[in-house]
Amino acid sequence: MNLTLAWRNIWRNKVRSLLIMTSVALGLFAGVFVLALYEGMLKSRVRIVIDAEVAHLQLHHPQFKEDYDPSFILPSRDTLMVKLRSVPAVRYIAWRSVAQGMLSTPTGSAGVQILGVMASDENRVSGLGKKLVEGITLDSAKRNAVLIGRKLAVKMKLKLGSKIVLTFSDRDQNITAGAFRVVGIYQSNNTSLDELQVYVNHATLNEYLAIGNGGHEVAILLNDDRQVEPASREVKTLFPELDVKTWRESSPETDLMVTTVDQFSYIIIVIIMIALAFGIINTMLMAVLERTREIGMLTALGMNRPKVFRLILTETILLTLVGVPVGFLATLVTVDYYSKAGIDISSFSDAVMSGFGFSTMIYPEIPWRSIPTVMAIVGGTALVAALFPSLRAIKLQPADALRQ
Amino acid sequence: MNNTVIDAHDISRIFNPDTIPVIAVNHVHLHLERGEFTALVGPSGSGKTTLLNLIGGLDRPDSGSILINDVDITKLSPNQLIDFRLRNIGFVFQSFNLIPVLTARENVELIMQLQHEKKEEVDNRVRMLFEQIGLTDKMNERPSKLSGGQQQRVAVARALASKPKFVLADEPTANLDSKSAANLLDIMALLNKEENITFIFSTHDARVIERARRVITLVDGQVHSDTAAVHVQAAP
Repeated sequence: MNLTLAWRNIWRNKVRSLLIMTSVALGLFAGVFVLALYEGMLKSRVRIVIDAEVAHLQLHHPQFKEDYDPSFILPSRDTLMVKLRSVPAVRYIAWRSVAQGMLSTPTGSAGVQILGVMASDENRVSGLGKKLVEGITLDSAKRNAVLIGRKLAVKMKLKLGSKIVLTFSDRDQNITAGAFRVVGIYQSNNTSLDELQVYVNHATLNEYLAIGNGGHEVAILLNDDRQVEPASREVKTLFPELDVKTWRESSPETDLMVTTVDQFSYIIIVIIMIALAFGIINTMLMAVLERTREIGMLTALGMNRPKVFRLILTETILLTLVGVPVGFLATLVTVDYYSKAGIDISSFSDAVMSGFGFSTMIYPEIPWRSIPTVMAIVGGTALVAALFPSLRAIKLQPADALRQ
Repeated sequence: MNNTVIDAHDISRIFNPDTIPVIAVNHVHLHLERGEFTALVGPSGSGKTTLLNLIGGLDRPDSGSILINDVDITKLSPNQLIDFRLRNIGFVFQSFNLIPVLTARENVELIMQLQHEKKEEVDNRVRMLFEQIGLTDKMNERPSKLSGGQQQRVAVARALASKPKFVLADEPTANLDSKSAANLLDIMALLNKEENITFIFSTHDARVIERARRVITLVDGQVHSDTAAVHVQAAP
């Protein structure tokens, strides 16, 4: 009877109750949609990090990353490749040489990271070929060909065919320089990297660095994201003398975002729910005020305080929770649509998003792991909002209430 | 067998004692026995409703004691008092006070459910009560679909649902037309006669006063007159 009475009571003032239910539904929609947007953005960012930037795993000489000294090369490529290919989770491997240097043109210079790559491997591991927006890949280019990012091209006023000089230190710390010609311009989702990284043929860079067939970095793409940790352990076992890093370690800022975004999302939802709670409290206080006489009558007839408390509590919780399935369903439908169609935010945040390595096309995705927490927040809001009106109701004295 | 239902001794109730004191009930003694059909009359402000509230346990006297079936209700805690009301006292209010979102049947059932009665017992008693008030065809109607008289009859059924020791009715006919008022009084008188249910009602209504077997007149919170000369014999 308590539930029946509570349910019918909330429909006494249909407009008022519907307004609160709609507010809860909209609040939940906004909260979960924000979570879905973040989820979509982060998954896209992680995808970019893995597929286009650092791959699943990277191997370096343990001292190489300290100051990018080109003398800290990896062991023999052939031995290393054979061992790595014995790891079942490994899908593609790219062998790279790396040098920190200066790009100079007749009009200016810029600090760059020069990656000596084997184009066919690199295309598979980091999708370099797919990023090309102008020109040709390194495979079919001449020995001193270079691929530069669009951001760097714009900054240094470079175009296809432009000549540049790359200056860097070889393995003996001698300054060396080479003239290169721009054969391709690429564009990734990360303009910061586009401005920093240039790609040349592996053999060419190695020649300048005087490291023979050596390399400084191995990037490994696995079959599945879930294999990162076990594969990392396996590779570490194979190469205990090398520095093996997962994408989380190679891109700690992305890992930080992944681990903290949920908390930020919850804060947003809590703020939305606090605002809603005031509306719910107001509505229920009005309901209690309007029914002072009736609550007094119920107490007079023998409904004890815990039962009156439960009645108002149940009404408030029902009022809050009825909006939940509606809001959640609306979110599911909306997210389902945009998860396929995508949300293009390039028109108002292209530079900002790509500056941080995010795609400007967001495909929202419901973060199911967060839904129990969201529901707990909504339930908690209902409970907290219910307390004040319920306490108010049980304080009513039947004789005073009946006089009203 | 002790037939005393209510034994109020020297009870007083003063409102606003710290500002402008209003003595609503002033040293009243009241003794009611089982099966009485008593009218509490007096001009507005004479303390009828306050006295009903006091003996109904809805308010507490500032002094004096009220024994109902030998239990001093002034000594009960608020929660004990609510439970005591549920099991011992039926209420009929002037403005019916049925819960508008419940049907007539549910309004009556609610009290029995508060008493945790079994469903079968609830069903049987509700059917019997609606037969007694002559509204079996309106059991599933909501109060808004019932006339004032019908609503008040449902209120009487609700008051009787808990099998109370007595029923307090605060101006039960005040909002009813003559026909409905007469009908209600017939029902109450019949229940009093046949089931020996004790009724105490405050009223201005001459029709009610005429039907009462005992009339207590209050003036300025004090008992001005009491026709309690007739001893009311408990039903066998």
